[in-house]
Amino acid sequence: MNGTIDFILKNRLLIIVIAIFITAGGYFSYKKLPIDAFPDVSPVLVQVFTQTEGLAPEEVEKYVTFPVEVAMNGLPNLKSIRSVSNFGLSVVNIYFEDGTDIYFARQIVNERLNEAREQIPEGFGDPQMGPISTGMGLILFYYLEDETGNYSLEELRTIQDWLIKFQLQTVPGVTEVLGIGGWEKQFHVVLNPDDLLRYNLSVNEITEIIKKNNLNVGASFIERDAEEFLVRSIGLATKIQDLENIVVKSEDGTPVYLKEIADIKIGGAVRRGIQTHNGIEEVVAGMVVKLYGTNSSTVIGAVEQKMKEINKTLPEGIKLVPYYEQKTLVEAAVKTVTDALIQGIILVAIILMLFMGSLRPSLVVALSIPFSIMVAFIGMNFLDISVNLMSFGGLAIAIGMMVDASIVLVENIDRLKRENPAESFLHVVARASKEVIKPIIFAIIIIITVFIPLFTLQGVEGKTFKPLAYTIALAMFGSLLFAVFIAPVLSSLILKRKKNKDKDTDKKEIWIVRNLIKFYEPFVMFFVKRRIYAVILSLILLLIGIIIYPKLGSEFTPTLQEGTLIVRLSMAPSISLEESKRLTMLVEKRVLKVPEIKGTVTRIGRGEVGAHTDPINSAEMYVLLKPEDEWREGINQKKIESEIRKNLENIPGILTNFTQPIRMTVDELLEGVRAELAVKLFGDDLDILKNKAEEISNLLKTIPGAADIQVDQVSGKPQLKITVNRHAIARYSLNLSDVQNVIRTAIGGETAGQIFEGIRRFDIFVRFAPEFRNNKMAIAGLLISNKNGLKVPLSQIATIEEIEGPRQITREQNQRFITIQCNVLNRDIGSFVDESQKAIDENIDLPVGYYTVWGGQFRLQQEANKRFAIVIPVTLLLIFFLLFSSFNSLKNSLLILLNIPLALVGGIIALWLTNQNLSVPSSVGFIALFGIALENGMVLVTYFNQLLREGKTIDEASIEGAKLRLRPVLMTAVTTALGLIPLLLSTGTGSEVQRPLATVVVGGLFTSTILTLLVLPAFYKWFSIKIEDSEI
Amino acid sequence: MDIKNKIIYISLGLITGIIAGYFFSGSLESEPNLTKEKKEQHEEEHSTVINLPDSVLNEFGVKIAVAESGEITIHKDLTGEIIPNPYNLAHIVPRFKGIVKAVYRKIGDRVKKGDKIALIESNESLVQYEVTSSIDGVILELHMTPGELIGDEKHVVTIANLNNVWAELNVYQKDLGDVKVGQLVEVRSPHTENVFRNKLFYISPTVDEATRTAIARVMLNNSNGVWKPGMFVSGKVYTTKKKVRVAVPKNAVQILEGQTVVFVKTGKGFQPRVVSLGIENDRLVEILDGLHTGESYVASGAFTFKSEILKESFGGDEH
Repeated sequence: MNGTIDFILKNRLLIIVIAIFITAGGYFSYKKLPIDAFPDVSPVLVQVFTQTEGLAPEEVEKYVTFPVEVAMNGLPNLKSIRSVSNFGLSVVNIYFEDGTDIYFARQIVNERLNEAREQIPEGFGDPQMGPISTGMGLILFYYLEDETGNYSLEELRTIQDWLIKFQLQTVPGVTEVLGIGGWEKQFHVVLNPDDLLRYNLSVNEITEIIKKNNLNVGASFIERDAEEFLVRSIGLATKIQDLENIVVKSEDGTPVYLKEIADIKIGGAVRRGIQTHNGIEEVVAGMVVKLYGTNSSTVIGAVEQKMKEINKTLPEGIKLVPYYEQKTLVEAAVKTVTDALIQGIILVAIILMLFMGSLRPSLVVALSIPFSIMVAFIGMNFLDISVNLMSFGGLAIAIGMMVDASIVLVENIDRLKRENPAESFLHVVARASKEVIKPIIFAIIIIITVFIPLFTLQGVEGKTFKPLAYTIALAMFGSLLFAVFIAPVLSSLILKRKKNKDKDTDKKEIWIVRNLIKFYEPFVMFFVKRRIYAVILSLILLLIGIIIYPKLGSEFTPTLQEGTLIVRLSMAPSISLEESKRLTMLVEKRVLKVPEIKGTVTRIGRGEVGAHTDPINSAEMYVLLKPEDEWREGINQKKIESEIRKNLENIPGILTNFTQPIRMTVDELLEGVRAELAVKLFGDDLDILKNKAEEISNLLKTIPGAADIQVDQVSGKPQLKITVNRHAIARYSLNLSDVQNVIRTAIGGETAGQIFEGIRRFDIFVRFAPEFRNNKMAIAGLLISNKNGLKVPLSQIATIEEIEGPRQITREQNQRFITIQCNVLNRDIGSFVDESQKAIDENIDLPVGYYTVWGGQFRLQQEANKRFAIVIPVTLLLIFFLLFSSFNSLKNSLLILLNIPLALVGGIIALWLTNQNLSVPSSVGFIALFGIALENGMVLVTYFNQLLREGKTIDEASIEGAKLRLRPVLMTAVTTALGLIPLLLSTGTGSEVQRPLATVVVGGLFTSTILTLLVLPAFYKWFSIKIEDSEI
Repeated sequence: MDIKNKIIYISLGLITGIIAGYFFSGSLESEPNLTKEKKEQHEEEHSTVINLPDSVLNEFGVKIAVAESGEITIHKDLTGEIIPNPYNLAHIVPRFKGIVKAVYRKIGDRVKKGDKIALIESNESLVQYEVTSSIDGVILELHMTPGELIGDEKHVVTIANLNNVWAELNVYQKDLGDVKVGQLVEVRSPHTENVFRNKLFYISPTVDEATRTAIARVMLNNSNGVWKPGMFVSGKVYTTKKKVRVAVPKNAVQILEGQTVVFVKTGKGFQPRVVSLGIENDRLVEILDGLHTGESYVASGAFTFKSEILKESFGGDEH
């Protein structure tokens, strides 16, 4: 090491040049880094969607979901499979182990999908994989504003689907644009059953005939003279008239045209979702889905640019209005941490100035911040870490720590320089550096080591906090490089000349430090003399910590405020889309009564398959706020939220919840649960599941802290069940399929080919006129004809009954289950779960084969705890070895480790005082605290040992050492603490996550510094090295 | 190092270890710290009463009506065709075999009884004789061309009086029990405005072997000639007409937890009342039990109340 210092000081120019290169490299890396709001915590997931026209959940599960699930079993790296069978839609989520390449996962899923396709009966849908995206992929939502009011919802939807969608999809990084709302245009062939009877036609014949009369063919080419002519036969229908003039039958040469038996008109497709706006109208909307792994900010930028271009090409009066943009969130989150970063740097610089008393040493130390950050950027670029709330947050946290190593070094140079004015400055630098370089290196390595537990985090918490751990570790590494290689060089260059000026004042410490030492001296002497008081002081503090600790609540991660409010409405599962729309618009009107709200856009149900799978009784209302300067005096988002809550009281039949866009999507992908906590009840029989789930939910309601308890609405979708009597159809020589085809086409409708308008294609949809299919009696009267032309009404051969069936069937690991979800208010989840679990075990009697599993955020927390329980002691052991190898003394190492509990106490007290919970970020704070606390201890103990070796007595060494090292210890502590102050006070987006961390570190630093300065010198006697053992 | 010192730092080491252990093993699994909150007034009575202010009722379009007696009619939809009234039909057969000498009328001509239609020369007697109409009516068929040899076995002229016609409706086996002679039928032909009401006067005693349908007949006045034989018609047979004690709109009745309920306005608020249902048609339903005349009930918007009750069973709102 000493050789290195000499080498560095000899090759100062080289070092400077290398430093400049590294800095430049850091800058270019930064330019290349993608920018996100926060780390994407979505699991590695492939979704398989199957749309099945008109099938009820039971059939979807049986015919579609199950074959897909079975085919996926046994895939490599498979973690779990979850599925939801809804009306007309099967969604199978296939989760892979973290770290599995998404394209690999999709590829193997796709291979198995072919097997599944073979198992799914013809006409029951074709399973497709969802977009290549993640929970954070929904980057922009927009709706079409029609200022003219002349466009129908069908026309607007056509503009969306055929004009906007394709253009937006060309933007690099956009994987999908999904439309919702309005009506998808179709050509409706509306049949009157009486007319079919008159001409003795069946509905299935009509679909066949339409298909046969609508196509173009190519007939290769003919040669004429020297030329070739391609032959085309044109028969595609392109307009209503073409359909109308299809001949369906010919009696004695009299043609019967389709128009004589059917009404052909343009209409809307069956829809399972709509968008409403401001409680007054329906709108057509779209959502832009970002491709996996692309840079959010660039993609959003490009999409916005494209939207501007598209707006120019749209018909007069129509424009795209974005109503949710992840960009604002990205900007806000990045701004929060960037602000904290800049403020932190300024505060640190001020402290440096105060303590160092002059500009030059402060400059040397301060330069370590940009250098460390640049090193971190280079590392981030290599490790594929994006700029986001957590990674930048890590840098903000580390600001104060980045300067620590340099402070110790420069302070030592500064001190030695003043003490030895005669010595050549370069020599002083070399000596000072050599004196402290070893403890510095060890201290930094220990700080980095301390973060090891964070690297072992898995799943969501891992994805959330690893970037933070990485950037801190990288920045610390950068600061180490700076302290070892660059700080000596810069000191030798920058500090040198100052020496010649005002020699007198130079010798002394600057006034602030002088006064501090004056103030500090009696204390340290008191404690060194009366060591028992030091023991008492630390025991009291420990006791306080032990008393307070159990009072802290716990949670996983504090809720991140995304700045976008969503009100989720759940309505009765049997609701119709029209009623759902009516109610939603009523709620929208109520929400709009809050003056800060500019508008609302609500999605009811689902649009094009790929992003959402909600049924029509569920609505998500985006509450659009006016710019903050238009708000009433003294109002903030919390208050707006509570006003909305108040307005939403007394809404009959609707359950309302607040949530946020990314949180909602990510939560759903994780556990299928949007709440903090979920009890999953597994079993086979839907009725038993439902009853037991109700029991559990009623029980949970009695447990304090429970809020928003919700049982998955699995049942309650009314069904009209038509059971065909096999004996009856035998008498009429009918096949079951003859009957069911009529039921399907007459009631549900059937697509009979497409109409092409240029490249746009629209389905031809054959169905009975509403009055002949929209009630039980009409359906009972449907006529089924057999081969001989005999006609029987449906009621003659089938029983028709109204029953209540499942709304959806959820399965996990090939088993049905039902979820009871809830949030926990004013209480920590951990204790709530314990209490609830006990209550369930005692009070609820589950049948054989039925069992409960707890999920939601709580489960993630448990996993994190388990891992920490192993990794943290291991890390401590590692640190102990490091300390031991640095000091070569068991006792010294123990003494330094003593800092840890004392630091923890401060963190605990700080959390308690600020009313915060133990959570993953606060745990991260404790971890960071270890490192910092150890660093201080090391600096001090190293110096004590040194003084001891110089022949001082233990007491002298303790007091002297403490006094002399007051400045660096205070400086490192204060810079670290002040560097965190901006995070502590910030109220910006994402500050919720950083605050507990900063609280813990600041609080812990406070106690640990006091104790380092008072208790450590006192205890040193018991832990000192034996001088006889080492060299004198 | 004296024993005292040893004890001190062993104990310090122990404390450190214990605290560290306590912290990590128990980390985050803290105990309940909330003193039991005051029992919230969340315990609603379980006899579900829903109270909604009038403003909310208005907002959500809830309409309240007073239960009263009513009349419910039930009908069956049948299909069929128009046929001429066989009793107003004349088939005219030439008296003697012979050659047609002249034809005086065309198909579709109206004729009176005794009007001359054709002149035939008998093959045997070579005497010419006239074929005349036996009734007033319209010539439907006329198989004679001058010079043609006509036999005496088949009728050559069909004359029908279409002032009244029959609608022959197909009655499916399952409906045979309900459809009776004397019931009112509303006959209409698709795509036209023609509607005619009359009573069924005949139901065939047998069922057709091929179609398994019986035939019900109704006579239609056709003085304006809108009903043409062969025309496809549909008939609405009113099989039941019953005065009921209480009749409510169909959507006032909701299914709640497997039971049919009506929401009744009581002094306390709105309460679901289990009712038993009688007959129903596409609009109204008879309440046999559970709702009395004079009581106020939710006639429109009952679904809102059903949802409200279901919501309670989902769990607490955001109060």
